[in-house]
Amino acid sequence: MTNSSKKRGLLTISFKLNQEDYTMEINSDERLLDLIRNRLGLIGTKESCGGGECGACTIIMNGLAVNSCIIPAARADGAEIITIEGLSKGMEDELHPLQKSFLEKGAVQCGYCTPGMLLSAKAFLDQNSGREVSREDIKEAISGNICRCTGYQKIVEAIYSYALERKGNN
Amino acid sequence: MNYTNLGKDTPILDGLEKVTGRARFVPDLKVEGMLYGKVLRSPYPHARLLKIDTSKAERVSGVKGIITGNNVSQHRFGTMVPDWVILPRDKVRFHGDEIAAVAANSEEAAAEAASLIKVEYEELPAVYDPELAMAEDAPQLYEDKENNIAVTFNVHTGNVDDALAKADLVFEETYETNQVYQAHMEPMGALVVPGDYERLIMWLSTQVPSMSRLRYAEALEMCSEDLRIIKPHVGGGFGAKFEYKSHILAAVLTRKTGLPVRMVNCREEDFRAGNPRVPMKIWVKLGLKKDGTLLAKDTKIIAGNGARTVYAPAITSTACYRIDSLYKFQNVRSTGYTVYTNTIPTSCFRGFGNAQMHFAMESALDTICHQNNLDPIEIRKLNGVTPGFTSIHGWEINSCALKECLEKATQESDWYEKKKEADQKGPVKKGIGVAICNHVSGNRPFYKPFDGSSSLVRLTPEGKAIVFTGEADIGQGMNTTFALIAAEAVGLNVKDVRTAAVDTDISPFGLGSFATRGTTIGGRAVYEAAINLKKQLIEHVARVYEKQAEEIKINNGKIYFAGNEEPLPVAEAMQQISYTLGGTSLVGHGVFVPNTVLPDENKYGNVSPAYPFACHIAEVEVDTETGKIRLLNYWAVHDVGRVLNKQTLEGQIEGGVMMGAGWVLGEDMVLKDGALVNPNFHDYCLPTAMDIPRGKIYSYFMESDDPNGPFGAKGIGEPSLNPVPAAIANAVFDAVGVRITDLPITPEKILAGLDI
Repeated sequence: MTNSSKKRGLLTISFKLNQEDYTMEINSDERLLDLIRNRLGLIGTKESCGGGECGACTIIMNGLAVNSCIIPAARADGAEIITIEGLSKGMEDELHPLQKSFLEKGAVQCGYCTPGMLLSAKAFLDQNSGREVSREDIKEAISGNICRCTGYQKIVEAIYSYALERKGNN
Repeated sequence: MNYTNLGKDTPILDGLEKVTGRARFVPDLKVEGMLYGKVLRSPYPHARLLKIDTSKAERVSGVKGIITGNNVSQHRFGTMVPDWVILPRDKVRFHGDEIAAVAANSEEAAAEAASLIKVEYEELPAVYDPELAMAEDAPQLYEDKENNIAVTFNVHTGNVDDALAKADLVFEETYETNQVYQAHMEPMGALVVPGDYERLIMWLSTQVPSMSRLRYAEALEMCSEDLRIIKPHVGGGFGAKFEYKSHILAAVLTRKTGLPVRMVNCREEDFRAGNPRVPMKIWVKLGLKKDGTLLAKDTKIIAGNGARTVYAPAITSTACYRIDSLYKFQNVRSTGYTVYTNTIPTSCFRGFGNAQMHFAMESALDTICHQNNLDPIEIRKLNGVTPGFTSIHGWEINSCALKECLEKATQESDWYEKKKEADQKGPVKKGIGVAICNHVSGNRPFYKPFDGSSSLVRLTPEGKAIVFTGEADIGQGMNTTFALIAAEAVGLNVKDVRTAAVDTDISPFGLGSFATRGTTIGGRAVYEAAINLKKQLIEHVARVYEKQAEEIKINNGKIYFAGNEEPLPVAEAMQQISYTLGGTSLVGHGVFVPNTVLPDENKYGNVSPAYPFACHIAEVEVDTETGKIRLLNYWAVHDVGRVLNKQTLEGQIEGGVMMGAGWVLGEDMVLKDGALVNPNFHDYCLPTAMDIPRGKIYSYFMESDDPNGPFGAKGIGEPSLNPVPAAIANAVFDAVGVRITDLPITPEKILAGLDI
């Protein structure tokens, strides 16, 4: 752990979140999800199962999609994190093409799984930036994200159509 | 008919806030000074409460209020049967039953305090199986409910015994449908804030804001007008989010502490004390002529109510008799018992009993066809209801494209070619199965006082329209549908229309999202309001611009006059109109009261203004070595009356099909001694993206133009699921010859079936 000091059960951690630097004092048993939602007020990261089984709380940490409900906040020390609020910043920024694709293809219904689903898709596509991806690859990549509304078909299509578009632009 | 806004792929209008994570759901709401609520739940399925000691819990730092049966009113109330109390003083009746609730200034303090409440119990004998619960010597849950029967439903029309005696073919089978969980991704929750004038403001994750207000007023012994219900974004409902005990507990805690209280289920609580699907044991006896004509149906159903009544009796009655109006029956008899057990109270789940019965009926027809060499498509065409038909229960089938649905599904799936395919080599076998369904779009007996809806559409001086309705968008896109209807009816572009969040201080009363009624009944009220608004707009344009009202047309946000005059933007006209009227908006008011009736003593009477229909065909692959079932392709053809929004219709179908597939292929709430052993997503397996058909779910729409629906539209929510279990079960049978009559269809059951 870098730059951390321990005092009265508290730790100090530093991390980069949505391209901003943070130094925060945390409890050693604090969940990363609670830090993001309750202390930073970033409510786009959702809690649904609390046990790392549904993906609603997915964030991207050091390039990997992870469930923030089962990750201790202490693990964020030195990490680079992206939450849904970092995918397109503020209300004036243009949407990330994946967000646009989700919207246009009808991949969103209630919206509760959507932030996590988008971040799983982004992490997967970033990891496979040089390579063609199939629908089957996408299904596997988002298999840790449960959506109860859409039946997944439009989500897979939204991700796939962006993957094709991106390939075309390369 | 050419529509400006309808029949297209219109992305949901609240999609932007959802893809950016800015949409706020109940767990995202926070107000200054807010307390966190936590419920203490029973660790026993049935126990007498001897003593509840909260003294230790009260000493936990941050605790502001604790309620138990000893300090809350003991009056009874309820949704259908008055068997609810706020918190019980006498006994608990299921593993998960509410005993006490704590409000504290942190979630940790609330949880700690709840764990320190000391309860002395006297364990009582418990019963979990509805059939066993009806036995004379079974433990009783309520003193006034003999044999644990909450409600009995009976219907007999025609002469079933006679018809069965005359039938060429008589088929009898027992089917069982299991208890499954809605698994809305946002758990149930409420934020209650003390309001001015001693009112309570309740932010609820609910599909029935107005009905909740009535019920909670009864529970809290308040005037319903003193409750203001606001519905923010809701993360799915699927039937679970009706009146809910924890909402009431949060309100009681708010009254006690004078502070805002937010109470949100953790996932385990949501499993243990949500209101899952009503499990049923269904006996079916059918009599037919040699050619497949259905003569009689005899049914007996034993349904699990759980430990208190939510909506299971209405679900049981639906299972007993709704399907009688899918086919041209002349003789039907049904008895349904809704029976208390020491298990989780059960309630609505997409399909509302009709889904359970469709599994039985559509599986039965498949077996009958197989045994008697009848064609499963033709038998459904032969018996299915047709336009203009009045069913045995007096249901008036106005629009009906059932036959067209069957034909389209047969053709698109290449049904007859696939049925012809010879014996397959290798351990993996393909199969194809069909099932059809009916449903309602509104259900008159659901809420006894009335069915119907009203709406306001306000046109602002900026030329933007806002739709006010009490009907609830719970993530299915209802608000977008309402905006589309209003836009089309007035002649606006949907981009200039939005639907306001439900707030009972502002929105009209709306029964809510159930019975597939939103589009047809809520939507028709919006349509009427929009037409009323349009009339006003035309009159004011005529007045301000000195034109004849008859020559004014409005389309796509522009006002057209006779001749070649340049069209006038609605926004410009509205500004001028508002200047002449003290800055006012124009408000259209619309009411729709369907021409339906409460069924009489023998359940005769038209309950819905429109009836949607569908035909589903499933293609599966079954591995005879492992018993594993894989969906290959799925064809869903729906009579929706009119396509208002193609994209959200497809979304409902794809979601409904996968929800049905999850149920039939593995979802199961497993109880051991009354306790749920799989209250999490690791042990309760929901479908993931890996489980969707290897090919595709194909959706097709038949536009039968219903006379009552807005622009002819009927509902989609529940019919998208109703036929799924039987379509898949029939496909499995076609693949490997194994008939599973009890859900779910597991690999173990397939392998056991293959051994015989």
